Amino acid sequence: MPHSIDKNIADLVNASGEALGSSPIHKLDPRAKSIVVLLFVAAVTSFGKYEVSRLMPFVFYPVAITALSGVRAGTVVKRTLLAAPFILLVGLFNPLFDREPLLRIGSFVVTGGWLSFLSIMLRAFFAVSGAVLLVLTTRFDHLCLGLEKMGVPQVFVTQLQFLYRYIGLLAGEAQRMLRAHDLRSGKNDRKISLSTYAPMLGTMLLRALDRATRIHRSMLSRGFDGEVRLLQPLSFKSTTDGLFILVWGGFFLMCRFVNLPELLFFAVTGR
Amino acid sequence: MSHHYLDVRDLRYVYPDGTEALKGLSFRLEHGEAVGLVGANGAGKSTMLLALTGLVLPSGGAVDVGGTLLSKKTVDAVRRRIGFVFQDSEDQLFMPTVFDDVAFGPLNQELSESEVRRRVADSLARVGAEHLADRPIHRLSGGEKRAVAIATVLAMLPDILIMDEPGSGLDPYGRRLLIRLLCEFRHTRLIATHDLDMVLDVCPRTIILHEGKIAADGPTRQIFADTSLLESCRLEAPFGMKRTE
Repeated sequence: MPHSIDKNIADLVNASGEALGSSPIHKLDPRAKSIVVLLFVAAVTSFGKYEVSRLMPFVFYPVAITALSGVRAGTVVKRTLLAAPFILLVGLFNPLFDREPLLRIGSFVVTGGWLSFLSIMLRAFFAVSGAVLLVLTTRFDHLCLGLEKMGVPQVFVTQLQFLYRYIGLLAGEAQRMLRAHDLRSGKNDRKISLSTYAPMLGTMLLRALDRATRIHRSMLSRGFDGEVRLLQPLSFKSTTDGLFILVWGGFFLMCRFVNLPELLFFAVTGR
Repeated sequence: MSHHYLDVRDLRYVYPDGTEALKGLSFRLEHGEAVGLVGANGAGKSTMLLALTGLVLPSGGAVDVGGTLLSKKTVDAVRRRIGFVFQDSEDQLFMPTVFDDVAFGPLNQELSESEVRRRVADSLARVGAEHLADRPIHRLSGGEKRAVAIATVLAMLPDILIMDEPGSGLDPYGRRLLIRLLCEFRHTRLIATHDLDMVLDVCPRTIILHEGKIAADGPTRQIFADTSLLESCRLEAPFGMKRTE
C-alpha cells in the first residue's frame, strides 16, 4: 500500500489543476473572491454561541460557488473534512461542561453544550469550505498577487509563494526517503522507530537548507535585491467583480440581520 | 574591443573548514568561445563556477569579466553579464509560473514593462517554449524545465553563459535538442559536465580540472585522445571518440 504522502502529492497536483479551470468563478479577480470569503467568514462567525438555525442559509454560498465553478463537490467536501479533527477538538468539551437543557422535543432533551457544539461545527465547516473553494477556484499565483495588491506585506506573500512552489519537492524527498526506508526495513510492519525518525527529519531539514541556499544563489545571480517584482495584470472589473462582492455581501448581511429560517417558517405555516 | 571575455588569474578558494578547493586556476575565454569544463566528482568544477559569479567570494586571485574585476562592489555588475544555469532546474525556477520566472531577471534590471515582455517572449521562443508561458513550474516535464531555466538566463541578455551540468536528467531526445541549442548560441560559453560526448559536440576547447588544479587546457579532440591523461584525472574517453578510433 502506498504511503499517504503519495496520495497527498497527487491531491496537491489535482488541486492546482482545478484552479486552472475557466468557469465564471475562476475568471473573477482574486481580490473580489478573497473579500467575499472574508465577509462570509466574518458573518458566519459573528453569531451567538447557541445559534444553529440562522446559520443554515449560509450553506447557500458554498453550494452556489461549487455549482457555478464546476469544481467537484466531493473534492470540496473531502478537503473541508481535513479540518475536522481540529474542529472536533475545539468543540469536544462543550457537551460535557454545558449541561443546561435548552430545548425539549418530547422526551428528548438538548443541552446548551450540544447546541454550541453543533454551532461550532457548522461555523467552522462553512468557514473552511469558503477558504477551500477560494483555493480551488483561484490560481495560487493570482491569489498571492491579489493578497499583495490588497496590502498584505510582500514578505508574507513571497513566503506563501515559495511554500507552494517547493512543498511538492519537499514531499517528494520525504517520499523517496520513506521508500528507501521501507525497502530496507525488512519487516511487514513499516512503522518508523523514533530513533530512525529523528535523523530522517534532521536530514530533511539539512536538505531543505541546502536547497534554500541554492535557490538564494540562483536568485542572486539574476539580480535579486530583496524585492520580488511581478509583472502580472490583475484587472478588477466593477461590472463582474464589484457585482460579485455586492451581491454576496448583501446576501450575508441579510442572513446576518434578518431571521430567514423564522420568516420561512411563518410563511409556510401561515402563522 | 569585445567585452565578452572572461579572464581568470590564479583563482583560489578555501572552504571554511580549511579544505583547499581551487588551487590557483588561470585561463582565459575569448568572445564567442565554447569551452567544456570536465573533471571527476569533487575536482572543484561547481566551486569554480560559483566563484566566477561571486556566489562564493574567491580566497585569492582575480576574475576579470569583460573588463570588470570581480569584487564585493562589482558583483552585481558581473552577475548582469554572466548567465548562470544551475544543475538542478528546480533551484533555478522558483517563481509560480514560467512567465514570472523568465521575467524575474529583467524586472530586477528595472526595465520597462514592454521591454520585459519582449525579452520574455524572445527568450522563450529561443528555447522553443513560447507555449509554456502561463504554465505553473511544477507542471513542466524535466526537459521543459531545463529549456525554461535556460530562457530565464537568456532574458537577461548575458555576454557569457555558464552552465553546470546542463544535460543532467534529460532523456536522449532532450539532450540532443539541448546540444543543438548550445551550438546555436553565440555567447561565450563555459559548460561544466560529465557528458564528454556533449563537450565533443559543443566545445572546440576543453579544460580538465583535477583536484582543484587545471590538468589540461586545449583542443577538445586532442585532450580526449590522450587516454593516459584522462585516466589520471579519473575520466574516460567519450563514445564519440571511441567510434572514430
